[in-house]
Amino acid sequence: MTAFVLTLCGAALAVALELLEALAIVLAVGSTRRWRDAVIGALGAVVLLAVVVVAVGPLLLARLPLGPLQVVIGVALLLFGLEWLRKGVLRLAGRRSPSSSFQEYLEEREALEGMAPVPPGQADWPARVVAFKGVLLEGVEVVLIVAALGAGPDGLAPAVAGAAVAVVLTLAIGVVLHRPLMRLPESHLKYAVGIVLSSFGVFFLGEGLDVEWPLADVALLYIAGTLLLVSQVQIAALVREPVAA
Amino acid sequence: MRELRKLILGETVALPVGVALVLACALVLHATAESWWPEAGGFVLLALVVVVLTVALAPAHRRR
Repeated sequence: MTAFVLTLCGAALAVALELLEALAIVLAVGSTRRWRDAVIGALGAVVLLAVVVVAVGPLLLARLPLGPLQVVIGVALLLFGLEWLRKGVLRLAGRRSPSSSFQEYLEEREALEGMAPVPPGQADWPARVVAFKGVLLEGVEVVLIVAALGAGPDGLAPAVAGAAVAVVLTLAIGVVLHRPLMRLPESHLKYAVGIVLSSFGVFFLGEGLDVEWPLADVALLYIAGTLLLVSQVQIAALVREPVAA
Repeated sequence: MRELRKLILGETVALPVGVALVLACALVLHATAESWWPEAGGFVLLALVVVVLTVALAPAHRRR
C-alpha cells in the first residue's frame, strides 16, 4: 500500500510538472504564431513517443531479467531524482531562481516574436518544430519516469493512474483556468518530486542487488525521510551562509 | 545536442559521476560482502547517495 500510494503521488506530481513545462511551450507557440501549427507540432511529438513506447517497451521488458532491469531503473531514477533534488535545494535556499512555467512561457513567447512571420496558407514549420521539440523533450522524461515507477511492486497501475491524474490536471490548468501557472509553488513541488524519485531510485537499486529492505515497502518512507532531513539541513546551511556580492 | 546532454546528464557532472561510483561500489560489495550485504546493503546505498547529493551541492557552499 505504501509503495502504491507513493508511486501514484510521485508519478502524478512528476508528470504534471513535466506536462506544465510542455504546455507552457505549446501555449507560447500557439499564442504568438498559430494554434494549428502548435497543435500539429505537439501531436507529432506525442505520436512519436507513443510509437517508441509501444515498440521498445515490451521488447525491453521481455528481454531483460528483473534484477538488472531494477538496477537500470534505479540508476535512471537516481539521475533524475538527485538532479531535481539538487535544484530544489538551491531554489529553496534562494541560490537559484524559482522554477516557473509562466516565466518559461514568457521567455518562449519573446523568442518566438523575434521570428519572421509565415504567410497565411503556408505551414509554419519553425512554430511546429518548437512545439514538437518542447513536447518531445518533456515527454521523454514523462515516459522514463512512468516506466521506471511502473517497475515497482504494484506494477504499472499506480504509475499510469498518477500520470492520468496529471494529464487531467494539466489540461484543466491549460484549458479552463489559464492563470494558475503563475501561482503554482513549482519549486516546492519539484523538490518533493526529487525526494520521491531519489527514494525510489535507492529502493530499486537495492532490490536489483538483492537487498532485503527492513519492513519491505515501508523502506520507501524511511529513505524519503532521510533524504528530506539531509536536504533540509543543506537548505538551512545555505540560507545561513552569506552570498558573494 | 546541448539539450539532450542536459536531459541525460543534468547540469553538473558531479551527479552522473557520483551515481556511477555508487553503482560501482554497490556491485563490488554485492559480489564480495555476501554475509552482510542483503541486510545492511540498503543503508550503505542510502549513505552513498547522501554523500553524492552533498558533494553535488558543495559548489554552492563554496560560492560565498
